[in-house]
Amino acid sequence: MKLDTEFINPFLASTLQVLKIQAGVSAEATKIYLKKPGEKLLGDVSGVIGIVSTSFNGSVIISFPRETFLKVMSEMLGEVYDDLTQDILDGAAEITNMIFGQAKVSLNEKGYGVQMALPSVIFGKDHSLLSSTQGPIIVVPFSSSAGNFFVEISLSK
Amino acid sequence: MFSPKTKVLVVDDMSTMRKIVAKILKDLGFTDITEAADGQIAWEHLTKSPTPFGLVISDWNMPNCSGIELLKKVRADEKLMKTPFILVTAEAEHSQVAAAIKAGVDQYVVKPFSKDALLSKLQSVSKKYAA
Repeated sequence: MKLDTEFINPFLASTLQVLKIQAGVSAEATKIYLKKPGEKLLGDVSGVIGIVSTSFNGSVIISFPRETFLKVMSEMLGEVYDDLTQDILDGAAEITNMIFGQAKVSLNEKGYGVQMALPSVIFGKDHSLLSSTQGPIIVVPFSSSAGNFFVEISLSK
Repeated sequence: MFSPKTKVLVVDDMSTMRKIVAKILKDLGFTDITEAADGQIAWEHLTKSPTPFGLVISDWNMPNCSGIELLKKVRADEKLMKTPFILVTAEAEHSQVAAAIKAGVDQYVVKPFSKDALLSKLQSVSKKYAA
């Protein structure tokens, strides 16, 4: 399936909006690229959500390096976190959930019938995730006031 | 209608979001805040608490018992039916807003949200119940 701007842009726009409103973090997308087979996720903490719709399936992952994640959580929760404790790790899932929710509205206004889903978190240095979809995986690197992070979008029919 | 002593139940399967909502409530002066990780646990709190909750702020999309299921149970219960209820969700589609209104929600907060956005919803609900 062709990953065109109609699918990618809602996720990019909602990523910026979620981080700005919920964490006060300003971000901007840098150079988008296609992920190579076997390439690992670039962060240490990742939120993952599957996409099921009447038109396509896929997934969205937001992956944070440790330091970026700690800064984002510190901003979101209004207190300083300097360790990846259990009670803040689900913040990656919550951010993913919000990004997905905003993008879902936009995609469903165009008739894609995206369904509700529950996010999950993967963490650990050099973690990886096998995608069950056969389509290309787009990686969108972001730079932000909290540090770099990455959004991965994969979709297939 | 709400006061710093209003007993508030914050329901969300994500501890991060419970912390965010609880922090905003504390910043606004609320002192009696209970957290629950899903609708089932929330229902236990609601039905077993010796003093009634004066406000429920619940996520929609949760495992076990969702926010809308919890809302329907609350509205169907003779003792709890008049409990002010705010749903918080990342889903803002018209069909869902309509379903929430039909189920008797008092306000609907779309994530991501600011402190001011939640305050505005609280004021609106407070006015409604004071009338």
